Amino acid sequence: MGSTNIRDILTSFNPSLDLFAISTGDGRIKIWDTVKGQLQTEFADVASTETNSIFGKQEGGHLSMDYTCMKWLTLEKKKKRKLGSSLLILGTGGGDVLALDVSAGQLKWRVNNCHPGGVSAVSFPTHGSRIYTTGADGMVCEIASMSGNLLNKFSATSRAISSLSVSPDGNMIATASAKLKIFNSSNHKKLQNFSGHPGAVRCMIFSEDGKYVLSSATGERYVSIWKIDGSKNKSACSLLNMDNPAVFLDSKCVNSGDAKNPGLAVLAISETGICYFWHGKTIEELRNSKPTKISIPFDDEVLNKPVGAIPNVFAAKLQSIYEPACGNAFLAYGLLIKPTFEKVLVRQGTDVILNVSHDGILLPINRSRKSKKASDTQSRVTALDSSNAEGALLPVPKIFDLVDGKSEGKDVASNGMLKYSLNKSRYLNNTSQINYFGHILWNNADKDGLDTVTLCMEERLRSLGIIGNNDDKIKSKLDSKLFEGIKLDASTPLRKVRASILSMEPNNAVKLLKGLVDVWQSRFYSAKHVLPWICCILVYHNDYVKTQEPKLLDSLYKVTKSKGPAMNPLFQLSGRLQLVLAQTNKASNNKNVFLEHNENEDESEDEDVDEDVYGIEEDSQTSTDSDD
Amino acid sequence: MFTGGRSFVSSPPAFSNDTKRLLVCTGNTVSIFSTSTGLQTSELEGHGAQVTSVIVVPSPKVLCYCWTASLDGTIKYWDFAAPELMRNIDIRFPIHSMVIPSVLSYTTETSSKLPDVFAYVYTEEVKQKEEQSKYPGGQIHKCNLTKSRVVGGVTLAETRKPGSITISPSGKYIGTYEKRKLQIWEIPAKDSDHVGFKKIRLHHTKTITTLAFHPSEMIVAAGDVTGRILLWRGIGRRTFSNGGKFINGAFNKDADDRPGVRDNDDADSCTTWHWHSAQVNVLFFSSDGAYLYSGGREGVLVVWQLETGKKKFLPRIGSPLLYFINSSDPSLSSISCADNQIRLLRMPSMEILKSISGIKLPSSSLEIYEGFGSGVVFDRAAGLIAVPTENYRVQLYSLFDDREISEVQICQRNHHPGDEITVKVNLVALSPDGSTMCTVETRLPEEGIGSLVSLKFWACGIQNKDFSLSTVIYEPHRESGISSIAFHPTGHMAVSSSYGGDFKVWTRRQEIHPKDQAPQNTGWTCHAVGSYKKKPMTAATFSSDGSVLAVAAEKVITLWDPDRNILVAVIGDSLEPITTLSFVGKSEYLVSASRGSNPHLTIWSMSKLCTSWSYRLQAEDITCSMDNSTFAVLALSESSKGTQSAKATIQGPDGVILLFNVENPVPLSTWFVSKAKGGRLCFVPSSTKLDYEVPETKTSDAVLAYINGNHEYVLLDPYSEQSSKLSISRQHNSNNLEETERFGYSSIYGELPEFKLKIDQALISSMPSEKSWRTIFSGPSHTLPPLPKLCSDYLESLLERRTAVVE
Repeated sequence: MGSTNIRDILTSFNPSLDLFAISTGDGRIKIWDTVKGQLQTEFADVASTETNSIFGKQEGGHLSMDYTCMKWLTLEKKKKRKLGSSLLILGTGGGDVLALDVSAGQLKWRVNNCHPGGVSAVSFPTHGSRIYTTGADGMVCEIASMSGNLLNKFSATSRAISSLSVSPDGNMIATASAKLKIFNSSNHKKLQNFSGHPGAVRCMIFSEDGKYVLSSATGERYVSIWKIDGSKNKSACSLLNMDNPAVFLDSKCVNSGDAKNPGLAVLAISETGICYFWHGKTIEELRNSKPTKISIPFDDEVLNKPVGAIPNVFAAKLQSIYEPACGNAFLAYGLLIKPTFEKVLVRQGTDVILNVSHDGILLPINRSRKSKKASDTQSRVTALDSSNAEGALLPVPKIFDLVDGKSEGKDVASNGMLKYSLNKSRYLNNTSQINYFGHILWNNADKDGLDTVTLCMEERLRSLGIIGNNDDKIKSKLDSKLFEGIKLDASTPLRKVRASILSMEPNNAVKLLKGLVDVWQSRFYSAKHVLPWICCILVYHNDYVKTQEPKLLDSLYKVTKSKGPAMNPLFQLSGRLQLVLAQTNKASNNKNVFLEHNENEDESEDEDVDEDVYGIEEDSQTSTDSDD
Repeated sequence: MFTGGRSFVSSPPAFSNDTKRLLVCTGNTVSIFSTSTGLQTSELEGHGAQVTSVIVVPSPKVLCYCWTASLDGTIKYWDFAAPELMRNIDIRFPIHSMVIPSVLSYTTETSSKLPDVFAYVYTEEVKQKEEQSKYPGGQIHKCNLTKSRVVGGVTLAETRKPGSITISPSGKYIGTYEKRKLQIWEIPAKDSDHVGFKKIRLHHTKTITTLAFHPSEMIVAAGDVTGRILLWRGIGRRTFSNGGKFINGAFNKDADDRPGVRDNDDADSCTTWHWHSAQVNVLFFSSDGAYLYSGGREGVLVVWQLETGKKKFLPRIGSPLLYFINSSDPSLSSISCADNQIRLLRMPSMEILKSISGIKLPSSSLEIYEGFGSGVVFDRAAGLIAVPTENYRVQLYSLFDDREISEVQICQRNHHPGDEITVKVNLVALSPDGSTMCTVETRLPEEGIGSLVSLKFWACGIQNKDFSLSTVIYEPHRESGISSIAFHPTGHMAVSSSYGGDFKVWTRRQEIHPKDQAPQNTGWTCHAVGSYKKKPMTAATFSSDGSVLAVAAEKVITLWDPDRNILVAVIGDSLEPITTLSFVGKSEYLVSASRGSNPHLTIWSMSKLCTSWSYRLQAEDITCSMDNSTFAVLALSESSKGTQSAKATIQGPDGVILLFNVENPVPLSTWFVSKAKGGRLCFVPSSTKLDYEVPETKTSDAVLAYINGNHEYVLLDPYSEQSSKLSISRQHNSNNLEETERFGYSSIYGELPEFKLKIDQALISSMPSEKSWRTIFSGPSHTLPPLPKLCSDYLESLLERRTAVVE
């Protein structure tokens, strides 16, 4: 436990939190850049070189300097941002007070032998024009922060003072050894006494509004909060329990709406390097609140490590407090040799675990297992070459369908950004989109390996209700035995047709004829292939058909008759389509050759089929006529 | 209002007399750094333009006085310990360089009356430019600082371009170089207004880049573009010594004995040293005159022993050297490097003591490769900018702290400053949560082969300090280059669009090891591929909630569902390929910008899928605020804007930042900025730290960050009232921002008329203000309001005047 102690180190952030000073007891002060996380500069025996002229060479080397307290003072100049106006105030065990101008890297002033026996604390109000110091001699000194002139001195007690704090407005001074005393800073009158600390107070601060004093003494495992009201009450207002004695305290007021009685957020760091955070909207709430811990996880190897190699939280500053019980804390943690700086969001009730990186630290580590493991996880890099898109989602093709138009619009609307917008007219206007979807459409049809045109036209027409749904009947008919050996998908040579018809029983032939007429009527198969069969049956089995099924012939006659008048308009249509196609071909030749070509092919097929159909139809008609 | 990102290496710095301070020209100010800590201690503010010279007045006492000269045409005298302005001399010409010979040869007896102090300034002639319509010429003038005026009639030289003047350490000679010749003048010991100058010229066959004088002897060193160093010994023996009393004949005899001296140059000998492989930038004689320091593009400081020519090196500085300055303490000197770093050296050992570093400057050699996109990107959450640097790195720079945070090496290869660039980091993107960085680097083809594009994803550690490579993808879009990368606002998703006609959506996949539940491998894989008619994809962005991915396919914008990879809609038809896309906050608008001959800024309404309004302007960058419906555009203004006065021509603003609300094409506010080419804009949430420093930003929670082409940035409060008080403070703080002056048309109608191309709705309510007739005819005729409006106004004004007469 003793090895993990951060009691002896002195830390301080500068007011704008971009620099951090740390002194680990060897008389050197390291200044870290918190933004970069790098060492900015180092002050070794800065004081002794300056004193050479005064004392001769009697104390040399940085080890002779024994700093006991350190505070970073800002001289408020609102216009100039962060330049040239911050001092690092140091107290030494020899009783001297020093002020370092950090950015210039030189000693600003020095008060020699201010407190014989050692300076124990320095403090200053927010405006920073005066500095109060105290020490083992029980005196409180007031020093002008710019010049280092001793302005005032008074005796607070006859015994050694261990801690001192000045209220933010500068009106009150609190001194503490075991007994806590509040003084008026102008006339040095004692305002209030508090007793209750068993030992010397190590750290003590005023709350932001100056209504409370927070203190913690050596060996105590709690933070005491004392209310300053001028009454004779000498006991603590509330106690905040910790696992280990505190070495550092910070607090912020919480705006709870009640201006008179604001709450407090308190941050404390224990000797073992664990940061505690309390938050309460009122003092009563604070008293009952449980601390939130910010810590670095321990592992078993900690105890074997040398001192200074144990990661700790060793400095913190509360930056701001938000309403729902959380605050921003700026932390310095890790190893003393290379601290890490991070802004941490602390939420009341959820403990924060910090990760420590061991980068850039040269320390004897007993087992290299850990570092190996770390490098293992880090060095794993995924590398992909140009075939990186395998297994990727390809664009989902959207088949353009008028019936689906509305539902798609709804999908879009559900996306939140695009309200119902893709209506029918928009589709039709946007030619590029039609091209795009059209392309996908034909591609899909090709994949199915069916006669693309008939399939699509049929489906489309059927969906629109132009064609009746009697497919199933026909299908079942086609499946029957009757159609064995008759292939309607392709044109069969006439000879074969004749042979198969002749080999049939007249009875069967009539049935076949019925089926074929149905097929023709429903256009299930191309008329081009169906009509030769009908023709053949009529030729070879006409007697039987006449006698047995006169009605069938009548219906056949009607069908052919009805198709007759449609001939001329169809011819006209096909002619016009050809013309249009020729024009589009010409116009879009250079645009999208591939796409257009595909379409043209499909459409021209369409045309051909129609023409052929009617060409043969005419033949069949004449043949039937002649037969009649 | 917060400026930062200044260049420390625009001009040579100067040491204070006690060597504890270093005075560095940083833009409009002179920053004073402590040499022992490397921290800035104070600042000299007052110049209105870039400070080009700083000269510390040498004195044995602890007095801290310095002269500064600036492009704003003033010379100022400061007490930099206080810091306090003592005197101001306005000579009206932009000063590019200044030397003051008399301060160097200060005399110990101060009892007698001090002679006048003369400065020699290299100025840029503005008048000439207007009269003769020539490029700005440079002139060297003499300036009497005691009497605060330019000495009339004394023009030492006229050159085509203002350069720099070099002064000998003794203050007896000043010299300049132009192209292939040196000119050296002797400064008379008793300088007065009317004194003749003796001058010699030295010639060389190559372009000279630097010049140095020996402290005691008559030796001049010059460096040239090829890396040679020339040493002329015994210069000016004929011309300078005793007023040329020597007999000319004696020198004609010596003509054969002058090795290396060209033509009739006045020198005894000329020797050439050649070690540098590239241009020599730095030449400096040590104070005792025994050594010569040289440095150049290679980033190596070479110390030559003058007698023997033996060399010592300080290698691996990592960047081209620009200046070398020594201090009165012989053990301390500084070198300025082109990567915006000043290094303090302990001298005999040449050990780097401290570095003062700033933001990485845009590299001049990278500019050659156009179409690669300059890549300063912003990280909104952390208030960072990521700057790709020449040496294959990305520098992360804190906007609010004005300090570098870290550097990430993107590509595993060594960088030598002088080398030809073979790999370039094109694009950088930071995820909104700051956990991931994505970079694109391109290996340039050598003789047409071997080009390689690779996309890298980096996982970020705490505080943006350590980045570790998580995924590298070689040739993510086959051979074609990547046009843009963008991160999903919330999820682990990114998109890269390529000129090759497709875009890919990448997602992070987490492999959880069965043994320990911690995610071990967080590689990125391709989630989806999309293309639209094989058109080049030029820009990509996610909407603020991440539900829509907009990809610009050359001239149209395709909208996709990124999760399912479904094409949702196609909008638009711009005239030129779209280069930038951005969703405006949480509103239903999308902003696109296209460049080229017909540049456009277009606002698309997502609900109507059509153009809402558009401007014809050359948008360099667009940024949208995260929460509300404003966005800002950095537009390059046309050069033919006659609104600027002649004084501002040197650094005249060439860009405009316009702040818009999506619903309204009238800009909310306007800022004129300079060096807008390559500039970037971003809304950055203001941190508590900024609030601490700038109390007036409390009204809004976002500030507008603008970084110009020279990587100088400024943080603006976009919603502040344009009160006169604020505008003054803006002028005061930085010159590259000027408040809009409204006159002519805009004083009546409050709008910039020349940007208007088409607006769907008539949105400008043209209410003539009262007493508008005062200003109605001021301004150029083409900007006057239309005749009907003028007429009614004019008639009203007539009426008003008559009543006044009657009364």
